[in-house]
This record gives sequence, C-alpha cells and structure tokens, in this order.
Amino acid sequence: MNTAKNWLCRAAAGVLLGGATLVTPQVQAVVDGITGTLTGNVRAFTLTAEHFNIKLPDGAAIPMWGYNGQYPGPTLIINQGETVQITLTNVSVPLPVSLVFPGHPGVTASGGLAGILTRETCDPATNATCTTGTVTYTFTASQPGTYLYESGSNPELEQEMGLFGTIVVRPAGFDKTVAANRTAYGAGTGTEYDYEYLFVLSEIDPDLHWQVAGGNYATVDNTAYHDTAWLINGRSGPDTMSPAAVPWLPHQPYNALPRTHPGEKVLMRMVGGGRKSHPFHHHGENSVIIAQDGRLFDDPSTPAADADLSRSDYTILTKPGQTYDAIWRWTGRALGWDVYGTDHDISPHPHGTCIYSDQGVLKDGVKGAPLPGAVADDLVDNETGQPAVSGRYAPGDGFHDATWEWCPNHGRSLADLGLVLPQNQDLTLGGFWSGSPLLGASGILPPGEGGLNANNAYVFIWHSHKEKELTVNNIYPMGLLTMMFVEPFKDSAGMPIVIPR
Amino acid sequence: MKTYKLKPISMALLCLTMGMSGLAGANAYIQCPGDGVLGPRDAVPDQTVNDPVTRQPRNIKCMHLSSSEGYITMADGRPQYIFGFADITGIPESAALAEGVLNAHFPGSMIELDEGQEFYLTLSNSGFVIRPDLFDGHTVHFHGFPNAASAYDGVPETSFAINPGASLTYYYNLVEPGTYMYHCHNEAAEHMQMGMLGNLYVHPAQDATGCAGNACPVAIRKGGSDPAAPMGYAYNDGDGATAYDVEAALQLGSFDPKFHDADETVQPLSFADMNDRYAMINGRGYPDTVNPAPLPPPSSGGTILNATPSVHDLGIQSQDETALVTASVGQRILLRVSNLSVAKIFTVTLLGLDMKVIGAGSKIMRGHGTAGGKDISYRTNSVTLGGGEAVDVMVDTTGVAPGTYYLYTSDLNYLSNNHEDFGGMMTEIRIN
Repeated sequence: MNTAKNWLCRAAAGVLLGGATLVTPQVQAVVDGITGTLTGNVRAFTLTAEHFNIKLPDGAAIPMWGYNGQYPGPTLIINQGETVQITLTNVSVPLPVSLVFPGHPGVTASGGLAGILTRETCDPATNATCTTGTVTYTFTASQPGTYLYESGSNPELEQEMGLFGTIVVRPAGFDKTVAANRTAYGAGTGTEYDYEYLFVLSEIDPDLHWQVAGGNYATVDNTAYHDTAWLINGRSGPDTMSPAAVPWLPHQPYNALPRTHPGEKVLMRMVGGGRKSHPFHHHGENSVIIAQDGRLFDDPSTPAADADLSRSDYTILTKPGQTYDAIWRWTGRALGWDVYGTDHDISPHPHGTCIYSDQGVLKDGVKGAPLPGAVADDLVDNETGQPAVSGRYAPGDGFHDATWEWCPNHGRSLADLGLVLPQNQDLTLGGFWSGSPLLGASGILPPGEGGLNANNAYVFIWHSHKEKELTVNNIYPMGLLTMMFVEPFKDSAGMPIVIPR
Repeated sequence: MKTYKLKPISMALLCLTMGMSGLAGANAYIQCPGDGVLGPRDAVPDQTVNDPVTRQPRNIKCMHLSSSEGYITMADGRPQYIFGFADITGIPESAALAEGVLNAHFPGSMIELDEGQEFYLTLSNSGFVIRPDLFDGHTVHFHGFPNAASAYDGVPETSFAINPGASLTYYYNLVEPGTYMYHCHNEAAEHMQMGMLGNLYVHPAQDATGCAGNACPVAIRKGGSDPAAPMGYAYNDGDGATAYDVEAALQLGSFDPKFHDADETVQPLSFADMNDRYAMINGRGYPDTVNPAPLPPPSSGGTILNATPSVHDLGIQSQDETALVTASVGQRILLRVSNLSVAKIFTVTLLGLDMKVIGAGSKIMRGHGTAGGKDISYRTNSVTLGGGEAVDVMVDTTGVAPGTYYLYTSDLNYLSNNHEDFGGMMTEIRIN
C-alpha cells in the first residue's frame, strides 16, 4: 500500500536531489498503480506535476511533463462507490496544470484558479508567492471500468507533453484472490480474468518537446504535429518488455509485458492516451471486446449484466481519449498437431495421456482407438468447471481438465503431417525463438541466437498495425510493440511457472 | 491456381537475373501430402492421402507462393517498384525459384480456403535482383488465424524468416471461417509498405452442409440445387442470415511513392516521414479499379532506371485483381473489406446502397462472436478500418434500381492518384 507518508518522504528526497521523484509502483494490485489513502469512503491521492526526461530506445532523451514525475501518470486504482479526492500541486511545470476526468460526472474542484474546463493550479513562473498552487478534485467513482485522466489546461500541449494517466475502478466486491470475484465489471458479468494488463497508447513529436523545453511553450505550433515515436505505457518497444520500475528508466515505471498460460483469460485495458488512433493487433487469437469507455456492452433489456453484446475481433482500433476492455485467451484448440510434443520429439510427454470422450467413446489423441476402462482426462467443460450436458465431447469439452491441452490432437507430430522445419542455415532466427515449434520445449540454437524466451513460451507480437509506428527515429523494430508470452504451466524441470497477479 | 505461359524474358536477362540472385541450380522444397507421387513436386497433390486413424481422405489444400520484387503501374501511369508475392502453385520445384524472380504481384494472389481444409502453404524466397545488396528473409503472416502456433505465425522475431533461395512450409488446420488477410511480417514496416500483402478468406462448413434442421440449404458453391440456395454463407450462422449471391474481396491499401523510389535506388528509408499518396483497392487506383481484366505489364516509359528499360517490360501482369463488383438486382453481395495500409486509417462509403456489417475480425457480428450470441449486426453508411482490420459487409440489392454505384473513401483527398485528381480509392458496384 502506497501510504501518503511513504510518498511524501520519497517526494522530499526527490526535491533534495533536484529532480522529480523516483516511483516504485506496487505490485500488489493486479495492474501497477497507486491506491492512495482510504479514510472512511474517501480515497485520497496526492499528485504533483513535474518536468523530467524520458528515454527512447534509440538513446534519445525527451523532455516531458508528468504527474508524480512519471510518464504516463500513475494509474489510480479505486473501488466502485468510493469518493475520490485528488490534490494536485504544480511543482515544476511552467504553465498552469489541472485534472479532468472523462467518463465521471459530478466532478467538483476547489482551490487554484478558474480555468476553462476546470480549476487549475497557478503558474509558478508568474506567481512567485503562489498561494493557490494546489487544487483538489472530488468525484464519486460510481461505475467500474477503465478511464483516462488528463490535464484540462492547454490540453493540446499538456497531454502531448505527458500529463495523462489511467484510472481503474474496480467493481464492488472485487477480490483478486477469488476467481469468481476477479472481474472487470462484477461477479456474474462474464468478465472474469486471470491476469490484467494495461496498454496506454501514445505518440511523441520530439521536436515539439524540445521547443517546449527551450521555453517556447507559448509559441509552439501544434498544427505542425509530426509524431516519430510511439509508445505503450510510456515506453517504446523493446523497452516495453523490460521489467517495471527499472532504474535506467526512472520516469517510465510501467512496462507492457503480458504473460499467460493456455486457457487462462487476460483482461486487456486499452487506453487511447494520445491524439491518434492506433489499430492494436494482438497476434495469436481474437479478443472479445466487452466494454468501451467504462461501459459494458450489455443488453439492458435482459436482466443479467453479462456483456452479451460484446463482439470478437483480432484488431482493436483505439481512438484518442477512448478506452476498451477486452478479454483474450489462447487455447491451442484444433491446431491439428500436438503442440506439447509426441514420442517423436519429447519423452515423456509433459502431460502424459490426454484421454477424452468422442461421442461417448474414450480415445487418446491420434491413437484414436477406443480405450474401454481408461480414466478420462477430460471430464468437465473447462470454461464452467462443470460436466457438459451436451456436445461431441460431453461430459468434457475436448480440453484436458488440468492442462488445457486439446486432446484430439494428442500425440500427432508435425512429422505425421509430413512437415519438416527448414534447417537453421535457411532461416533468419528471431530472438524469441526457442529452437522448437513445441510449447514448453527448446531446440539447439546457433551461438548468439535466441535467449529471450526462458520458459519456451509461444510468443506473439502485440503491436500497432500502422506499421510505420513500429519505428523510432526510422529504426525498426521499435515503437508501439510488445510481446505476449503464452507459457507452459511447468518449466522443463517440471517446476510450476507462476505468473504474478 | 494460375497457369503460366512462357514470359517474354530474353534468355540473356534470365541468366543474368538468375546468376545475380544466386539461384541458378537451386531448388525450392515443397511439402504437400500426396504431391510428388506421379511427377515432380509442384504443390498440386497427385493423389488423396488418408488420415491414418479415421482412414478418411484428408481435405488437403496446398499452395506455393514465391516472394521477391517487381513493378506495378499506378493509376496515373507511373511505374512503381514493389516487393510482393506470386502464386507459383503448379511450377515444379526445379523451376520455382527462377519463376519467382521479379515476379511480385500486388496484391498477392487471393487465398480462398474452406473450413475443414488442412492448408499447406509453401513460401519460397526468390531474392532480389534490382536490389542485389538485400538479403532480406520473408514470411507469411496469416493475419487473425485463431490459436496460432508461433512457428507458423510468420513473425520473424518470435520464430524465423526464410532466407533467399530457400523454402518454408506453413501448416494451418482451418476451423474458423471468416475474412482474414496475409502479409509478410519480416521488417514489416518496409515489406508491407512495399506491397507484400493479400486477401485471404475461409468459407464456412455450412456451405456444404446447410443448416441443421433444414433451416438453410446447401450453398450453390458446394453443389446445392435448392432454388433458394445462395452462392454461399459468410459464417456458420445456423439460420442462413449471412447468405450471399455475389462475393467480392476488397483490400484497401496505400503507397508512398517516395518510399518506393528510395527502396529502388538504395536510399535511406524514412518511416517517420511515410506519406502515402496512392490510395488503392486491390492494388489499383480508380479508374483501374473497375478494369475487370489484369492490368497490362508495367511499361518502360518514364522509369527511373533508364539504364535497363527492359527490366520493367517483363510481361508479368503484376496487378491481376479487379475491384469491380457486378451483380443483378435482388442479389445479396458480400464485400470482404480489409485494410493493410501501414500508415492510414480509411473510411469507405457506398453511395445509394444499403450496407450491413454482419462480421468483423473473422467473427460473425453476434455476441461473443458466436452463432448463438445476440445479433449485433448493424446497418451503416460507412465503415472505418485501420490497418489489420476487416469487416464483412452485406449489400442487399432487393428493389434497387439498376445502375452503377460507387464505393469510395470518404477521406475525399484520397480520391486521387498522387498529384492526379479524380482517382484513388474508388470502385464501382454495377447492378444490372
């Protein structure tokens, strides 16, 4: 818990060092963020506005403005129904700053000076004895979901400079330790998930930032905007894949490194944090887009709140200021071959048998012949945890109950399909290639190849499908990209691979 | 599958190109069950292959794509250097790599598949001749393939790319119908801008079976003879709601001529300054979009490389997909619209005809993308697509007056072919 006292001590230390504060986000919450201080039903946060530099992966430093000295601003994690109170102090931004909260009605502000959209801090440059330098904003977070917050002062400049962040409102009854209550929109809404990741997308025009750093913030021409760097959670790939809170990115504490296991559900909180739209393409499988701007795609004419109007897609077009929530899951269903290996390539098979019921007859993958008396590995529908009442694989669903292996393909190798991968000398290998087409297995790689896939996961690139955004300073591949790791449940030594929640 | 005629390349040029690309004497390597039994391997199975367990014939579909470079003609007459795929299915292994040299098509050949097929896609890399300094690998990314395996996802960072002179076979067990697309994912920002893109879609099993309980008939394309049978269905809808009589795949795209010229002349490539000025449908700008035939091979007039004008005049009809749609009054038209521009989001509108979005992202527009979900299909006058997005649009022409209807971008400045006005991203639906 990031208590106010701890934060103030760190803030004091930061001021003494003459720079912005070093943020260490907590990992207790499912997404990195801060939870403020709760007193009764009021959750209070203290935010500053500061200037600092961030780093792009080509080595460039870019001057930024950001809340709490980080880019993007800290993710505020709130529970549905709480009253939120945020106190904003402008420490080192040369213009008045403020906060607006799209999607939350009834925001009141006190302190500071009247601005166009909301009350804002005074400008420390023009008011040396600033007694109105703190503004307090209050609203009630009545609806769960994913929201953006940003400066309402000179927004076309201040948002670009980095003054925005995300608000996550947890549904009433949220409990990350109980599967039925680890949801985006409440128990019983069909929005359960296993892992949760934030993807705040933005762009940077470095020339504009350097003009602002040189003091030209009043005269910079926003109509000549030309973005040449693109980011997820304030970092440009491949920095997106470094750990959170690495010391060499002191003002970019958040990463974007989604990991999951087969069959487990990933909640993607997509946020359009810049001024451009980005078609976000997540390789590997479709997602189900369950909500937009903090509102579930739910048919109000049916009593259950259950995202029954959600749709499935393989690319999510995020737009400026807009948020989406989507659920993604990879199962490896019906690939036609056993992705975990067969007696040809792995002995023993990591899962042993995969005996399923095919219209009442028990079979074990490619062997196919009936297995009377065998113990089935597929006795329930993995989605519900209960036996299925109908369907080809009843009472199962075709998936191994413990491992999510697709049993009808058990034991069928690529060689059985007449397939051989080319020799390494015919290939240019990727850093995330394990050396083996199997999930959880590795192969021999030439010296210097691979090495970025310690758990032999299936790795899928998640990226903007405006491919020019996969560059920084004309270097490819950088920019708006990261990787999703679908990891086996156990590593090659048989030890469970635990992905932190 | 294309049948190939001998192209009018002089033997001298052929030897020069093969020697320069180092491919003389190199063979492709095709993996296709049932192929190579009665003759050399050419990605056309000679006999059916049975599943060893069920003993039923496997539903195998093979295809062989080459990857290389070439030229197209923009709608204002300007020849343009591209990278691209060519469909060389049917060419024996010993001739395949040479067949691929300078044989880029734009868009790449349409890949039309059926649910239930096992799709073996061999990709051979025929290298570069105009850019002999490049040793880029290539891949095929089957965009949107469900539950993909990294090895066959075609992303070189997470698997591998195939080097010049070599071949790689991808395998896809097709269980999800819908509209997808394919493109090279090696150095994607460059290779995709340069044109390694194509249409890809999968017909549903319902075409061959009809709906349960006779709720809808077998489709004409699978031998259905019911007088009410449609040509096909877009999805396994279970009730015939996605039936269509005419089908057209329309891929939106755009080129930056300065980028293509820079790539042709070994100049630094500017991704940040990418400025697409040719907006196209199926690789053509209007009025070429409504030419029903393959476009003539690029001419040698007005080339940049004056030294070898014959390079452009290779007899390769590199733009062989029309964007013209024709139908009769009362027919239902399925438009499979995708966008593979690397720099632009486009909105297209259809003047005078009703558009209904019945699918998106290879899933039916019903709750959760399942046939049993609530109907969330919607009527609209426009669809907006970023790169990597696709929608299935049903146009019902019942009661419509015969005539010519325009499908065009409402980003009106893209109704142009670079500096030439009255062109760009526009095509026609002709109702007779």
